[in-house]
Amino acid sequence: MRDVIVVGAGAGGPVVAKELAAKGLDVLVLEAGPRHADPRAEWTSFENDANNPLTGFLRLGPTDRTRPAWFRELPQNSFVWQVSGVGGTTQHFYGNYPRPYPGVFDDYTGPDAAAYDIQHRFPFGFRELLPYLEWVEATAPVATAAMGHKEQTFFRGCESLGLPVQTTKTTREASYRPQQNAVLQPHGTAGRSADTDLLHYPRATGCTFCGYCFQGCMRPVGAPRNQYAKRSTDNSYVPMALTADAWARGGKPSTLITDAYVTRIHAETRNGKLTASGVTWKDNTTETEHREDARVVVLAGGCVENPRLWLNSGLPNPNDWVGRGVTDHFLDWVVGVFDDPVGNPKGVGSAARADFPSKGGLENVGVPPALHAFAMNFSDSGIHGHYANGRGPVGPWDGPAGRLTGPMLKDLMSGRLENLLSVVVLTDDDVQPENRVVRSGLPLGDEHGPVPKVQMWGRKRTRRTLENREFLARRAAEVIRGAGAKRVYRIDWAPLLLHIQSSMRMGGSERDSVLDSDAQSRAVRGLYIADTSALANALGGPNPTLTTQALATRTAEKIFAEHFGGDPWVYADNPVVSTDPRITVRLGQLGL
Amino acid sequence: MDEARTWDRRGFLTRIGLFGAAGAGGLLAAPAAAAPREPIEDVVGLLRPVLDELARDTMTGLSVFVCPGPDAHSVAQGTRRSEPGAVEAGTPRFLLDALNKFMPLPDELLRPAVAALVTALSDAGVHLPILDGLPNVVATLDKALAKLLQNNATVPLPVVAAALLNLVATGVKPAAVAGPLGSPFSRLSFAEKATVFSVIEAPLPDLVAVLDVHLPQPLKASLSGLLKFLGGALLEFAAFGSYSEFAVFDPVRRKLIARPVGWTLSGYQPDGPVEGWDEFLGYYQGRQEVRG
Ligand SMILES: Cc1cc2nc3c(=O)[nH]c(=O)nc-3n(C[C@H](O)[C@H](O)[C@H](O)COP(=O)(O)OP(=O)(O)OC[C@H]3O[C@@H](n4cnc5c(N)ncnc54)[C@H](O)[C@@H]3O)c2cc1C
Repeated sequence: MRDVIVVGAGAGGPVVAKELAAKGLDVLVLEAGPRHADPRAEWTSFENDANNPLTGFLRLGPTDRTRPAWFRELPQNSFVWQVSGVGGTTQHFYGNYPRPYPGVFDDYTGPDAAAYDIQHRFPFGFRELLPYLEWVEATAPVATAAMGHKEQTFFRGCESLGLPVQTTKTTREASYRPQQNAVLQPHGTAGRSADTDLLHYPRATGCTFCGYCFQGCMRPVGAPRNQYAKRSTDNSYVPMALTADAWARGGKPSTLITDAYVTRIHAETRNGKLTASGVTWKDNTTETEHREDARVVVLAGGCVENPRLWLNSGLPNPNDWVGRGVTDHFLDWVVGVFDDPVGNPKGVGSAARADFPSKGGLENVGVPPALHAFAMNFSDSGIHGHYANGRGPVGPWDGPAGRLTGPMLKDLMSGRLENLLSVVVLTDDDVQPENRVVRSGLPLGDEHGPVPKVQMWGRKRTRRTLENREFLARRAAEVIRGAGAKRVYRIDWAPLLLHIQSSMRMGGSERDSVLDSDAQSRAVRGLYIADTSALANALGGPNPTLTTQALATRTAEKIFAEHFGGDPWVYADNPVVSTDPRITVRLGQLGL
Repeated sequence: MDEARTWDRRGFLTRIGLFGAAGAGGLLAAPAAAAPREPIEDVVGLLRPVLDELARDTMTGLSVFVCPGPDAHSVAQGTRRSEPGAVEAGTPRFLLDALNKFMPLPDELLRPAVAALVTALSDAGVHLPILDGLPNVVATLDKALAKLLQNNATVPLPVVAAALLNLVATGVKPAAVAGPLGSPFSRLSFAEKATVFSVIEAPLPDLVAVLDVHLPQPLKASLSGLLKFLGGALLEFAAFGSYSEFAVFDPVRRKLIARPVGWTLSGYQPDGPVEGWDEFLGYYQGRQEVRG
C-alpha cells in the first residue's frame, strides 16, 4: 500500500510527486511512455526522427518505436500534439511561463471583469494562487528571456503599435515584453558561439540558442540532466522527485515506473463514500498486469487520457461533465516574409509576447523547416488562391487566409527560412460543453481499452471566442507588418491542440465541474487531478504550464492536509531550485 | 434513398483507378482475368501489388502537389520546377509509411464508407468516357477485390486514401480515368487537385448524411469526421515529410547520409547540424529581471 500513486509524468504529475516526496510520503509515479535516461545516446535533433507523431522518439506511444503509436479519434480536421514518456508533452514545449490573467479568478473586480469567461471562473482568488505561482517560478526556475533577432523584430513591430512594455510578472493591461521562460539563461559561450567545440558544459551553461526546443532539450553538451537549459519536467521536477532525500529534510525519493500504462482506477465504498483505492497498470513490454493500492490516487495523464481512463474505469459521471469543456486557445498562425534574415529558427522557441487581457495573447515562435511547412498547411480555410472552404477571412494580411502550398510554399521557403517571422495567436476561448473527449465507437480499441475521441468545434465557438481570435489575428498581422514584413499571411488554423485545458475542470458549481476547489473529485474521494485538465478555464490565453504546476503544488498541500494530517508549506518555507547541486550530485550517484 | 444506394461497381473500380492500374500492371492480360472461370485466387494474388502501386502513384501525385519539383508528376500537374521537390525528398514513401502506421481501417467500417461515398458521388452525374468499352474483366477484378477484403480484416490506409483521392478526382475530371501516369489523381492539373481537396474538406451535405446514416452512436460523425481529418492530414503530412530529413537519415548511426532536400530548399542549417548559434543579443531594454 502506497501513500500516493501519481498517474502520468508530464507537466503536472511530477509536481505532486516532488512536493509530497519532500514531505516523506511514499509516492509511486506510473508513466505510460518511455524514460529517455540518456538523450545523447537515444535522440537526435532532426525533425522527423524526433517529432513524427507516429514514429518519432517524442510521440504518444510505447518505448518500442516499431510498435504503433496510441490512436486518438479526431472526427474533424484537427490535430492533438501530445507526447508520452517522462516529461510528457513538456518534452516538446517551449518553456513559456506567463502567469494567468487575474480576470479568470473569482476575486477579480477590475473594470473589464465581465469581459472574461465569467461562467467558468476559478473557484478561488488570484491572490490565493500567487504564492504558488512564485514557488514554481523559483523552482523551475523562471527568468526574463534573452533576445535574438526574431525577438528584436517582434519588439520592433510592437513598438510600432505604440503598446506599453510590461515590466511586471503579472499582466494587467494590453502590453508586450520578453517572455518569462523556464529556460536557463545563456552564460559563458552559450549564445555567443556557433562552434560546436566551444559549446560544452561548463564552458557553456544555459540555452545555446540551438533552436531545437520542439525536438527535446539535451543542451549544453555534457551538462548533468538537471542543468539542461529547457525546464521540461524530465529536467526539473522528475529529478527532484527521484532525489528528494538529497535536498529535503525527511524527504523520500519517489519510485518511477515507465512503460506502465494505467488502465483502471479502483474505487470502493468507505464510510458511505466512494473512495479511490488504487490502480491497475499494464507493462507495455511484458504485457503483464499489475495492481497497486494507495491512500490517494492522483490523475495526471493529460486532458485527453484522463476522461478516457475515468470512463473506462466505470467511475461515476453524475453531471456528465467528465471530458467536457475542453479549451485549446483556438490557436492561429500568422507569418511574415522579410527581405532580410530575422533569425528563425535560432534561439529559444519563443522569447517575446504581447498580451491583451480578456482577449488573449500573441507570441513569436521559431520553428525548423518541416514544422514550418506543416504549420502553413494546417488550415480550415482551404488553399490560398484556390478555395476557402467556406471561410478565408480577410484582414490586414495578404489575400484571404488559407494554406500556403505547392509553388507558393516553395517560393516562401526558398532559401528564406531565416526570413520568416511567425506569430501564434493564443485566444482566450470559452469553456463550451460541446468541445469534449468521449470514448470512440470505432472498433479500434488498443490494448488499453476503447480509445478517446476528441471532438472540437472549429467554427461553432462562442461569439466571444471568435471575436477574440479575429482581434488577435489582426494585431498579429499589424505587429509583423510594423516590424517591416513585405508580405503577411494568415493561415486560419483548424483546431491544433497544443494547449489543452479544462477537460476535467474544477469549478464553483456542482452542475458544470468534475473537481471541487481542492482539485479533488466530487464523485470519488481520495481521487485528485493535477494536470492541465484540472484548470477551470483557458486562463485567458496564457500558456498553461506555470498555472498547472502552481495548482498542482496547491493540490499537493491539500492532499497532505486532508489525508496525512500535515501542514501547508508554501507560505512558510523557501523553495529549492531544481538546478540545486545536491540534486546534480545525487543524480550522478544514481547513474541518472 | 434505396435507389440512390444502388451503384455501379464497374464505375467504382474504374474511378478509384484500379482498372487503369490493373491494366498497367498487366493484370488484365493475365489468364485468370481473361478466363473468369480460373481460380479467383490468382487474381487476388496479382491484385495486391497493383493496389500498392496505385497507392504509390497517387501519393506521388499528392506529394508534388505540396512540393513540386522537376519530376514527371510535377510536369503533369503543370508546375515543373528546376530545383528538387517532394519526389527527391522521398515524400511518397514518407506518406505511405505514415498512412500504414497510422491505422488500418477495419473492413466493417470501410464497407459502409465505400458504399456511401460511391452512392453520393455517382449521383453527381459523372460520365466516364471509357466505361462503355470495358471488357468483362472488371467483374473479375470486382470479385477479386471483394475476396481480398474478405481475407483481410483491415484495408491498408494508403489504399483507402488513394481510392478517395482518385474517386473524387474522376468527379472533378472524368477523363482522368485514363492517360499517362498511374492514377487518376496524378493526371489532374494543380488547380484540379485543389478542387479535389475542396470536395473532401466540405463534403456534399448528401455525402455526410449518407456516411453517418449508416452508423449508430457513438459512431455518429465518425466517418465524415475521418474524411475531413484525412483531407487535412494528407496535406500537412506531405508538407512535413517534404521539408524533413526523412529520406537521408540513417537510423542506426543516427546521422544524415546526405543533405536533406528540405534543408537545401529552405536554407536551414547551411553548414550542417549545430549545437548552438551566436544569436544572443542581450536583454530588451537591458532588463534582466522583473517583479510583481
Ligand atoms: C509544441 C508545444 C509547445 C508548447 N509550449 C508550451 C509553452 O511554452 N508553455 C506552456 O505552458 N505550455 C506549452 N505547451 C503545452 C504543454 O506542453 C502542455 O500543456 C502540458 O505538457 C500538459 O501537461 P499535462 O500534465 O496535462 O499532460 P502531459 O504533459 O501530456 O503529460 C501526461 C503524461 O501522462 C502520461 N499518461 C497518459 N495516460 C497515462 C496512463 N493511462 N497511464 C500512465 N501514464 C499516462 C503520458 O504518457 C504523459 O507523459 C506546448 C505544447 C506543445 C505541443
